[in-house]
Amino acid sequence: MSTGRLEVRGISTSYGPVTALDGVEVVAEPGKITAVLGANGAGKTTLLRTISGLVRPQAGQVLLDGADLTKAPAEAIARAGIAHVPEGRGVITELTVEENLRLGALLGASRRKTERGLAQVYEMFPPLAERRRRDAHVLSGGERQMLVVGRALLTGPSVLLLDEPSLGLAPRIVAQIFELLRGLVDAEGVTVLLVEQNARSALSIADVGIVLNLGRVVARDDAATLAADDALRHAYLGF
Amino acid sequence: MSQETREAPVTASPPPAGGRLAGLLRWRPRSTLGRHALLVLAALVAVVLVLELTSPFRNSQFATMSYYAIAAAGLTVLTGLNGQISLGHGALMAVGAYTTGLLLGEEGDGALPLLLVMLIAAAVTALVGAVVGAAAARLHGPYLAGATLALAVAVPGLAIYFDHVFGGEQGLRIDSPEVPGWFDATIYFLFAHETPGAKYLAYLGWGTLLLVLLLLANLMAGRVGRVWRAVRDDEVAAELAGIRLGQVRVLAFVVSAACAGLAGAVLGVVVRLAAPSGFTIVLSLGLLTAVVVGGLGSLAGALLGSALLVFLPPAVTNLGIAAGLDGTQAAQLAPFVYGVVLVLVMLLAPSGFVGVLRKVRARRGSSRRTG
Amino acid sequence: MQQFLNVTLTGLGQGAIYAAFALALVLIWRSTRIVNFAQGAMGMFTTYLALTVIEGGQSYWVGLVVALVAGLVLGAVIERLVIRPVEGGPELNAVIVTLGLFVALQALAAILFGSTFRSFPAPFDLRGFTVGGVNIAFTANSIYVIVAVVVVMLALVVLFRFTDLGLQMRAAAFSQEVSRLLGVRVGRMLTLGWALAAVVGSLSGLLIAGGSLVFPAYMDAVIVYGFVAAVLGGLDSPGGAVVGGLTIGLLLSYVSGYLGSELVALAALAILVAVLLVRPQGLFAHTAARRV
Repeated sequence: MSTGRLEVRGISTSYGPVTALDGVEVVAEPGKITAVLGANGAGKTTLLRTISGLVRPQAGQVLLDGADLTKAPAEAIARAGIAHVPEGRGVITELTVEENLRLGALLGASRRKTERGLAQVYEMFPPLAERRRRDAHVLSGGERQMLVVGRALLTGPSVLLLDEPSLGLAPRIVAQIFELLRGLVDAEGVTVLLVEQNARSALSIADVGIVLNLGRVVARDDAATLAADDALRHAYLGF
Repeated sequence: MSQETREAPVTASPPPAGGRLAGLLRWRPRSTLGRHALLVLAALVAVVLVLELTSPFRNSQFATMSYYAIAAAGLTVLTGLNGQISLGHGALMAVGAYTTGLLLGEEGDGALPLLLVMLIAAAVTALVGAVVGAAAARLHGPYLAGATLALAVAVPGLAIYFDHVFGGEQGLRIDSPEVPGWFDATIYFLFAHETPGAKYLAYLGWGTLLLVLLLLANLMAGRVGRVWRAVRDDEVAAELAGIRLGQVRVLAFVVSAACAGLAGAVLGVVVRLAAPSGFTIVLSLGLLTAVVVGGLGSLAGALLGSALLVFLPPAVTNLGIAAGLDGTQAAQLAPFVYGVVLVLVMLLAPSGFVGVLRKVRARRGSSRRTG
Repeated sequence: MQQFLNVTLTGLGQGAIYAAFALALVLIWRSTRIVNFAQGAMGMFTTYLALTVIEGGQSYWVGLVVALVAGLVLGAVIERLVIRPVEGGPELNAVIVTLGLFVALQALAAILFGSTFRSFPAPFDLRGFTVGGVNIAFTANSIYVIVAVVVVMLALVVLFRFTDLGLQMRAAAFSQEVSRLLGVRVGRMLTLGWALAAVVGSLSGLLIAGGSLVFPAYMDAVIVYGFVAAVLGGLDSPGGAVVGGLTIGLLLSYVSGYLGSELVALAALAILVAVLLVRPQGLFAHTAARRV
């Protein structure tokens, strides 16, 4: 997998009269996990959707290794190497587990690479291997999360955007997945932008943390520093 | 009357600024019914003038326009206000026409007066509408469209199957009503004109139309109209507010079916025939075109669309013949134009002509305010 | 007994064609959530193109290819230009657009090709086989019809189940947003879906026309019956479309044979209403009952 530097410069996004993001600046470095935190409605999901091209910003730029992706359609942004695992996971339940994975692998080049990639994912996530021919809707919440992460990885991304992967999952599974993420980043140097409401867990594996409130960046620091800042935590992160 | 589709507050205008005559001219009745009645009265005067001043050929065109407009008014209320699409209104018109045919008969030997026959036709069609509406109440979008399309295709077949009652392919001949003595005398007294049959039919059609428009306008502006709009805009919210979706939908269908039945009755006496060939899919689609182009949910739009339905085809056909097409080909130019117009309107101006007008007015109003 | 056999065989032949048409409707519904009311008119138009080619001296098979290719192009063009702007908007708009296309195409055909009834050749023998001294309503042409439909369906199954392109099309149909995030060019998939559906529709138009008369409105009833078949099987289910088509073909054939051909349309309406009231998601929907 290649690495990529993601820059978000002065992004403002509105849904009609409602401003969701206002002049947001973010830099996500390769080989680092950048956590995006904040309460509900802070704009975290909108940020990811703007980066991946599902939503057009009214102002600002999204740059990947210096290339301007702001106006590109979502499928082109995906092909450029930004994999977005959306809110709600995005498992296509009418397809089988393997078909979901293959869909991700289509962005990879050759047939052999696909088979190898699939084998790797099955090794990483044994429950998926067990159910590879079943329709994806039989998977549990944790298994679905594994599926969409595996699928995103198969696209060979340089940037991985994750929207609330811990939602609805048991703490043990959350820990498993976060551990996996950390290992991935350390091994492959992928850029990860992790949106989470579960700030405590996110900060425990992140390198950098950004806090959004009502569409604006209110804090930006090392994860450890943020986690230690009691006032900030109480005000914006709920713990 | 297009204003009535908005949630316009019903208030009288403020007291006049100056001058008693100016004040009198600016007087508006306090109630919605009053305002609508005044509009209808004005329209009636206009209708009389137009019919008296134009030729019998034009009169018969206006008569045709009147029954399209009656059906279109009912359809625009159903589709625009309540959100239910119907491709089967041609079939409902057939019900009205055949009922009229059965009651009036070929020699006019039915003992019932014409107005009563028309009322019965409307009632019978309303009943059919209740049945169809009940079946359709749970359907949406394409399912509803498909089901009503199936209805439109099935009804002519019924008429052919029971040919001993309905006259089969040839249909039922309907006697044209005689011009009543008092009517003839009044017109002669006012204008020194005779009243040939075609003109009387136009009066009949338009009189019915204006009455229907008055009733529908009041319905739309009142509580019923608001409930229908609520169901169209957000079913879940409406249901949570205590509105019985099924009943509301069926009622909307019944009202629009009654209009279609009335239109069918007028069609019957104007065309003097109720036959399967007069009620093809093209009729239903033509009505849909009329309400879409005019603007869904707008009575003025329905009028406009019906005018288009009647006056556009001859104009287009003449263009076609001038361009070198033969007669039958040129006749097909009109439906071709309908289809294209329907597509273009949906792509470019989905709110129809009335919607475009409203936007223009709004923009001009706001620029005047800021300018 | 003989009548029953004949009515059944006729019904199967018709049913195969309704199945193909219903399949075209389902293809488009799955990808764009639109019922293409213009499908019949599109098939009629390409059949007229084939007729023009055949009457110009070419063989039936050349005409067939012309019709299928024309269908492909027509479907793609219509999706890109006319349908794309109304996809995802209010359902009413899409319904009206396809109806407008229906009216326009039918009128255009009348202008270009005339409204008179014209006969369309059948590629195979139209005489019924004689089995055990009894003439049955099954002809060589009937075999061709069934084989053609089966071949097309198998081709579609292979495409969708076993190719990457098919996987992308299915993904785009089930979940546009997620597919886009995975790099699927959803717009192209939708256009392709319409193009393929139009090819199937063109085939239906040709098969119905073979050995019969064509006139601009000859596919009107098929739209209704195909729609009923698709709804019966479940608008989301291609397999359901096939079963629905065969079922409708048989049922309508029985009505026509035993009760009278004028009642066929009414029977179709009755079946539709029954299905929509009793099991609106159709016989084969495996997803939860969709809001009808």
